[in-house]
Amino acid sequence: MLLTFEAQEFLLNEARLLDARKFTEWLELLTDDIHYWMPIRRTTQAKELELEFTKPGGMAFFDDSKEILTMRVQRLAVGRAWAEDPPSRMRHLITNISVEGGDANELSVHSNFHLYRTRLNSEEDSWIGSREDLLRRVDNRLMLARRHIYLEQTVILSQNMSSFF
Amino acid sequence: MNYIGEDEVIVVRDRKNTINVLVNSCSHRGNTVCRAELGTTNSFLCSYHGWNFNLDGTLLAAPGEEAFYRGELNKSDWGLMRAAKVESYRGFVFATMDANAPALADYLGWVGRLGIDFIASRGEVEFLDGVHKNRIKCNWKIAVDNLYDWYHVKVSHGTAMRVGFVSEEAMAPMSQMVLLGEYGHGIGGPGISEAELAAFDARMANGGDGDAQWFDLFASRRVDPKVRAELGPVGTRSFGHPNIFPNLWVSITQQVCLRIPRGPFETELWWFNYLIKDAPESQRRQAIFAQNHVFGPAGLLEQDDGENWSHSTRGARGPIGRMRPLNLSMGRGRDQVSADPSGQSRIETVVNEHGQRWTYQSWQEWMLADSWQELIASHSQPPTGVV
Ligand code: FES
Ligand SMILES: [Fe+2]
Repeated sequence: MLLTFEAQEFLLNEARLLDARKFTEWLELLTDDIHYWMPIRRTTQAKELELEFTKPGGMAFFDDSKEILTMRVQRLAVGRAWAEDPPSRMRHLITNISVEGGDANELSVHSNFHLYRTRLNSEEDSWIGSREDLLRRVDNRLMLARRHIYLEQTVILSQNMSSFF
Repeated sequence: MNYIGEDEVIVVRDRKNTINVLVNSCSHRGNTVCRAELGTTNSFLCSYHGWNFNLDGTLLAAPGEEAFYRGELNKSDWGLMRAAKVESYRGFVFATMDANAPALADYLGWVGRLGIDFIASRGEVEFLDGVHKNRIKCNWKIAVDNLYDWYHVKVSHGTAMRVGFVSEEAMAPMSQMVLLGEYGHGIGGPGISEAELAAFDARMANGGDGDAQWFDLFASRRVDPKVRAELGPVGTRSFGHPNIFPNLWVSITQQVCLRIPRGPFETELWWFNYLIKDAPESQRRQAIFAQNHVFGPAGLLEQDDGENWSHSTRGARGPIGRMRPLNLSMGRGRDQVSADPSGQSRIETVVNEHGQRWTYQSWQEWMLADSWQELIASHSQPPTGVV
């Protein structure tokens, strides 16, 4: 129960940083060996559901190391990252948080998200999905060591995904 | 599953290994008979009333043939519609709905074929599982325009350079080569002169001693005399972006991108990704890295492209804005088409808009022609002389 509470605190704090555009502080929550991954999803027949997601190591929308995530954040900071300038308005709604396994030092945590974004006058994007995270305790605090993001879209219905999930 | 224009088509290999291109619409009430993006099936069973179609589109059976149709349903008349022509060039399958379209090799011409030769000359390739797909609220032509556009790179993608994701000199080479082909095909982008290629060869013969150049990576894929013969003397020196007219971009990132129109104001981008079969593991990993990080909706470059294309469409949509002719003048009247004994005519120049002008001009000719017959008669030959 305590671990669930801790995981919940971590994820909610993380969402607060992202929504407040405190991306540099967000990076500090990530371990150096983080793997941040969003596979490509496809519509398949019920009997072939094993084809639904692409596999790790292959094609993906995100397949990021800390170095790449840092570049994404730096890009936003130097100005003229057109997809985010003017910046989007973003809100992460994080729900259904549950600790699925692991121990006090490494917990597997499931959560659902709704990331809502608006841009300019009338552009609107809505991304709903689930995340399978690995939270690792480093120097007595939790950090994000792995995030697998499963989006409820096959064709991405947005002109870009310049946000963090 | 794929699209030809706004028609959904099923591309399926049957038991005889024939590739069939079928319109995904049941001949009974029009229902789609295939709903999965990929997979394997024995037949296409329509989910509405149960007409069952073979992988080649023929109607196998309909429930109640005797009891309800009284034996009068002539099944051979009611198969799925098939593309009028399906042909392939070096493993790339093309289909058309028009039986009067020219043969594929003639349609592609030397420029279109060269675009595919750029891939095929690298050896056997395997396409990877997973196509990056997303929707951009832009007209599809602005996406095609952009593949010839080496002018936007510094401004559109400045941040990707600033953070060291791509290098500035690799992204904005001054020496450009443009090849224009019949029916709108084109190749535009970086190219090197005969002298540069000769200097490269001399350097390689020297064990690679000397100053590295921006084109070394590209030129090193074209050292095999067999590859050079395949690509021709001019093609060997072109590292540009082919567009197989109208909407298939052959990218240098080991990808091909289809730009599928969804009405005038929306385009779906599909990125197909391939690896060279006998490439070493490190090169395969590099290719996968680029495929996942450069383009696509989360790509560090294409994020910003999406923004600019949708706003170019949006900005030019207003009743006043749309009346103003846009500026497509870069390099017009200032360059020369050089002929070559091989037939590979080309423009060797700096950053320019020849590819875009050719695309829009060809598009207009396509739109003004009522039939293939008319287009074959009326279309422009690629320019010669001053261009
Ligand atoms: S619509 Fe296909 S069987 Fe009726
Ligand atoms: Fe671009």
